[in-house]
This record gives sequence, C-alpha cells and structure tokens, in this order.
Amino acid sequence: MSRPGFVLEVDDRTPPLVVHEGEGFRLEEFPLGTQVVYPPESLPAMSDVDEAIQHALLHPEGSDPLPSLLRSGMRLTIAFDDISIPLPPMRKPDIRQRIIEAVLTMAADAGVDDVELISANALHRRLTNAELKDIVGERVFRSFHPQGLLYNHDAEDRGNLLHVGMTDQDEDVEINRRAAESDLLIYVNVNLVAMDGGHKSVPIGLASYKSLRHHHNSKTMVRSHSFMDMEKSHLHHSAWRMGRMLADHLKIFTIETTLNNDVFPKPYDFLLKREWEWGVKDQASMLAVRRGLALAPDKLRHKMFHDLRAPYGVTGVHAGETEAVHAKTLANVHRQQMVEVQGQSDVLVLGVPYLGPYNVNSVMNPILATCMGLGYYFNSYRGQPVVRRGGAVILYHPVKPDFNQLHHPSYVDFYEEVLAESTDPAVIEAKHEEAYATDPWYVHLYRTSHAYHGVHPFYMWYWAAHAMDHVEEVVWVGGDRRAVGRMGFRAASTLADALEMVSGTVGSSPSITYLRNPPHLIADVH
Amino acid sequence: MRGLVKGGVDDVRAVSRGWRWGRRSLVPRSAEPHSLPKESPVFPTAWSRRRPAKAVREVVQQAGLRPLFRSQVSPHVEGLDMLGRVKPPVLFVANHASHLDTPLILLSLPNEWRRITTVAAAADYFFDTWWRAVGSALVFNTFPIERRGGSLASTPGDVLNEGWNLVVYPEGTRSVDGWVGSFRMGAAWLAVEHQVPIVPVAHRGTFAAMPRGQGWPSPGRKPVTVRFGPPLRPTEGESAREFAPRVRDAVASLLDEDRSTWWEARRRAAADAVPDPSGPDVAAWRRVWAQTESPRPVSGMPRRRAWRRR
Repeated sequence: MSRPGFVLEVDDRTPPLVVHEGEGFRLEEFPLGTQVVYPPESLPAMSDVDEAIQHALLHPEGSDPLPSLLRSGMRLTIAFDDISIPLPPMRKPDIRQRIIEAVLTMAADAGVDDVELISANALHRRLTNAELKDIVGERVFRSFHPQGLLYNHDAEDRGNLLHVGMTDQDEDVEINRRAAESDLLIYVNVNLVAMDGGHKSVPIGLASYKSLRHHHNSKTMVRSHSFMDMEKSHLHHSAWRMGRMLADHLKIFTIETTLNNDVFPKPYDFLLKREWEWGVKDQASMLAVRRGLALAPDKLRHKMFHDLRAPYGVTGVHAGETEAVHAKTLANVHRQQMVEVQGQSDVLVLGVPYLGPYNVNSVMNPILATCMGLGYYFNSYRGQPVVRRGGAVILYHPVKPDFNQLHHPSYVDFYEEVLAESTDPAVIEAKHEEAYATDPWYVHLYRTSHAYHGVHPFYMWYWAAHAMDHVEEVVWVGGDRRAVGRMGFRAASTLADALEMVSGTVGSSPSITYLRNPPHLIADVH
Repeated sequence: MRGLVKGGVDDVRAVSRGWRWGRRSLVPRSAEPHSLPKESPVFPTAWSRRRPAKAVREVVQQAGLRPLFRSQVSPHVEGLDMLGRVKPPVLFVANHASHLDTPLILLSLPNEWRRITTVAAAADYFFDTWWRAVGSALVFNTFPIERRGGSLASTPGDVLNEGWNLVVYPEGTRSVDGWVGSFRMGAAWLAVEHQVPIVPVAHRGTFAAMPRGQGWPSPGRKPVTVRFGPPLRPTEGESAREFAPRVRDAVASLLDEDRSTWWEARRRAAADAVPDPSGPDVAAWRRVWAQTESPRPVSGMPRRRAWRRR
C-alpha cells in the first residue's frame, strides 16, 4: 500500500531534508514553518506487464484490436519516444522494447512486410546505435537497424517531410513523410510526466521546425499555465489542433505507458524515503554516498550518476485512439504524482538534480539547468503556480558553465552571444531564433552528428519564460556566480543568504514552499 | 584532504543531531497522520526468564538499580502485607504516569516476589531496537505486548502459566498530565481467562518526579509513594467487561487512601464518593499543575538523617 503525497510543515522535530543539486545533494535545514511537498509513494507495479500489453493491444480504447488493423501488403510505421524519457533511463528491458516486440509479433503473424521504426526525436539529437538498441532491445535492433529500417527522425530532411496542411489557426502541420504516408502509424510512448503523450507525441515528436515553431515560442509558453496541465496549456492546445488534423489524415494507434516513482536504485533508494523515516542503514548509506561523492573526481561522480538505471515499475498500459488512451494515462500519472497544496507561497525552493531530458549521457549546462528548474519543476503545478506572482524562486545547482560540444554546440553560442545581449525570451526570439534555426553548420551537425538542433537552446529558454514572467527574483544556491549572472540571475552560498537576498521583495519572514522532487510530483494548488 | 575530513565530520554531526542518535527518533508533527504504524520486530524474551539472566538481573537490580533509584527519589511503600493473602502468580495492576513506575513497583516488592515478577511493556516502544529490548528485558524483566496488534514471541498468558507475576498498566501508556486515564480490559481479561487474582497498585509522585518527556528524575529526591491493595478475584461468571471497572475503582480507592487515610477512603467508598482518579474537568494547565506537586511525606514517617540530632 503506497501512501499519498502530503505537505510537511517543518518543525523542531524535522531532520535536515535532502535537496538535489546537480551531481550531488545536500542536507538542508529549512526555516520552521516551511512547507515541503512530498510526492506520493511509489504505486505498486503491474505484476505481469506482458499480459497487460497483450490486453491493451487486443482490447484497445476507441479502436479495433490491433491484429484487425494489420494486413499483408500494408505500410506500417512504429514511432517511439526517444532517450529524453524516462529519467533516469529505466532498467532493461525498456517498456518500449516489450511493447514493440509484442506489436511486431502481431505484425509478423499478419504477414506485414513493410515495417519501419522511427525514434521520434524531433529537434533532439540523433540517438547513437547503442542508445537505440537500449530502447528497442537487441532482437528488434538486429532485425531492423542493419537494413536502415530503424532510424532517427530527421527534421531537416526536406525530402522526407510531408506538409499535411494547416490547422484552423494557420499552424503548419509538417511531419515525417514515412509516418504520414503509412497505412498505420503506431506510436509507443512513456508518459513520465503530465505534459507528455496524447497529441504531443506525433505532431511534435515527428515534426519539423516549421511546424514546431507554432507552439515552441515564448508567447505560447508564457500563456501556458502550466504546460503540465493540458487544459490550460497553449502549447497543448496547439498540439491538439495539429493532432486532430493528423488523425483525420492517417490512422494512428497510440500506445501509452505510465511508470511508478521508483526513480533511484539501491543504494540510493534512501533518496526516495521521507527523511524522518530513515533507519540506521539509510543514514549510513547517505553518509557513505556523500563521502564517496566528495572524494570522487568529477568524471567518476558524473559516471556514478549517469550510470543509474531506475527500477521503474509499470503502472499502466493503454492503447487505441489517442485521446481516449491519453485520458486513462493522465489519470494514472495524476494518481502517482498529484499532491494537494493549499495556497501560494512567497518563495519556492527547488533542487535541480543531475539529469534532465536533454542531458542523458551528457552534461547539464546552465541553460539546461534553468530549463529543468524554472521550466519543468516550476511548471509542475495545476491550478495556480506554487509561488505567488512577484515572489521568488530559489534553486540549488552548481550551474557550472560546462558544455558538451558534441551534443550542445549551439548552446555554447547561445550562452556566449545571445544571453550576453539579452535574457528576455521575447527579445531573443525575435532577434536571434531564425538565424540559429537555419544556420547551415548547426543543421549539418544535427543531421550527421549527435547535436541538438541549432534552435534547441532557444526552446529551453522559452520553457522557463512563464517562470521568468511570473516571479520577481531568481537565486541559485551554490551556483557559479559568473554563469548565473550571465543568465540574469543571482547566486548565493547558502539558503540563509538567498533568503536574505530576496527579502527586499518578499520580506524577512516569507512563506516558503519546497518541492521535494525527484521523484516527480504535481502540486495541485488551491 | 582536511576539507574532506571536516566535511565528513560535519555530515556525521548533522545526521547525529537531526536523527537524534542515542535517543528515540521523532516524527514531525504534520507528518504524524501520514506515518505508518511502526512494525515491531518479534523479540524473543524467554531467555530473560532463565537462570543466567535472573542471576545477572539480581546483581543489576540490587547493586545498581536500587541504590541509584534511592539516590534520585524518596520512595515510601505501603500495603505489602496484602501479598500475604495471595500466592503467585498474580497480576499487579497499576496507574501509569512515569518511567519511574516500573522500578518503583519492582523495588518495592519483597525479594521473593520481585524475582518472579515480569513487566508487560509496549512492543512498539521498548522493543523497537535490539539494544533497548535487551536492556529492558534484562534489567526489568519486561516482555513485549502489542498495543496495536501484531505477532509476539510470548503472550502474557504464557508468562502467567509459567508461574510469573505480571505488572500491567491498563492505561496502555503514560499519562500526559499525571491523572489516571481509562483502563483497557486486557488485565481484567487475563485475570478472568487464567483465573489469577489482581493486586491493585496505586502510586503518586512519579509524575512530579519525572514526567513524560523527561529523561532523568528532577533533582531533590522527590517523594514517591506506592500502595498495594487487597487482591481482587473475578467472581463466578463475571466477565472482563464487568471486572475491569472494579479494578479501576480499587486503584482509585487506593489513591484516595494514599491522600488521606484508610478509614476516610473506606467511608467515601461506601458513600460512593471516591474522587474521580481522572481528575477535574478544568484547563489542561491546571490538571498538570496539580500533579506537579509531590505527595506530602506521610506523617510519622521518620526522616533519615546522617547525624542524629541532640
């Protein structure tokens, strides 16, 4: 039996609490009265995942069973979420592998010859062969990859994109040609957080820049309150318009999955427990890990974290018509992540961990840290933001100005040139986005190397636009002063210093809320 | 390197302070409704009732606990003659206000009774860690009982059947304000089920000397009194539900007797006017205030002096 999430009020009995900060964590003593939002405990995992997959495919929502949709001579395309989810990557076998194997078994039985598999990475970097293999498994990889039938989506391959049409709001819908011209497109998703899935899968995962720019812009992001709440997210409204149009154009069979909150494997599982419930073993593990991290050189520390594989349990598999499936998926996500919070606070505290969607097997640079903190974590609410308008956000992360040149080449220029000029999302969008999006060198690296698209750092900045618009102050505890200053924020050494720095805005005894994630949570703020 | 060592020391300090090493861990108040009931591990205690443990306990109690106890409080015992009217095993049923209650009762008993007396102790409190379990079983001859249900190595019935006396606190926990709470029916049920007499025990002053939350008795050798009452036996066909109020009344009457005299208490009992041991319905602070006063030394009781006065 897993306990629901709840809001702790820090009192004299509260031990120091874990706060993630990049490749490490600290124990923080919060001021008395601080509200700490704890996510629900991990839901029980399905005991027989393969059985659940079979059931979902044979009894889909709002669709005929999958075997009846498969026939000899058809063009079948299977698209799947890329490496950006789940976080951390899950232990093998990946749920996508299990589903794709089940789908391919049915396709083989039906005599389908023309099958292609596409990693729906939109403007994300191309996955390496090893990363593709990790997701789909050895059997699928060996059967399709050598023939070139398992590949990454290329949003810059003009010959392999199809402009399907315009929505009623004049938004271009342009996606992967193979997918658009298939008799059946099957999309396999991992719905890690509430913003994933639904019509965000095909119209975004398989889209081109021309299509993405309609919703990935500062105006849409500022008006999405929040993008974890699809009802109030302009990003999702746009994706839904595109998805409905695509659904009229081609047959899409969506398969969505949800995971529980088992994010950290042993011996890091103490990070999932509520601190006052730590036993002697948990305390010893924590001390050992802290000392190990302090002793380890940077490379080893990086490896310790990035080699983590989450022992996720699967909590749901649903298949069929996209919207019917997504309603069930969202209910599962909410069951695992939703916590009721009463009222807004003056200060929101967030610990930014080592990993976000765009630095798997890579480095979390300052822009990605901002996206993770002010983008994803800030937006982890429903109703209204956890912090009041004009309040302050305090984030924990080292914010080192380290960049992975292979994965994030345009980020370096964005950091050095664009942010040096302005940090206003609307200004940089108007002035610089087009040039970065169409730069031939960045396009070349995106298509042939493993680089994120030239426009990607802009999108990261837009994710944070709502937070930047909403709050008055942003302070990074433990952040590199130069890097933080470059992004227009301030750095502090300790929480006490940070609170002192924001006291001019929120007063000397502000109400404080700390979101204790990971694992993921959504604050349902009343 | 120095920084690393210092970081390690700081971490250990923070953890020892935050997680209260050596003390019982606490749950933040707002987290209490969301906490799981503690599952107590099953601790076998049969060893503590065997000869080697008995020998060790005798030394610990006589050479250590008794002088220590007397150095911290000033006990006064009455009613031991009641034990001449019964034969072991019996149930000693007492009010519960302090951790001093158990040593007070045990050390008040004649040695031949004390050596065959065990104490029922909350499994989730005294048996939550191995060292606390071993310590309390060895020194006080405790065995665990479950307040919330669960599995046990020995039941109170087993202990009684082995011929051991049993100290039971039917309130289930220490009083928060020193007054007597409601009695659960476990002791009465045991008496009915195993046909053993109950010896009511009432004590006063332990709350004033060492209330809940205090780890050591207050300085000044505060007086504590303990009074044993006449044994009670369930009558033919009497159920535990009927017997339990009689036990509580007996303890209440003993407390009344301890405050006044046996005769006055008898007269009040006959007139059905025994003061309610649960105390007056007044503000919480007044209830605590009343109980922080130690019982007056019994008149006629000779004060021990180091030097005789001329």
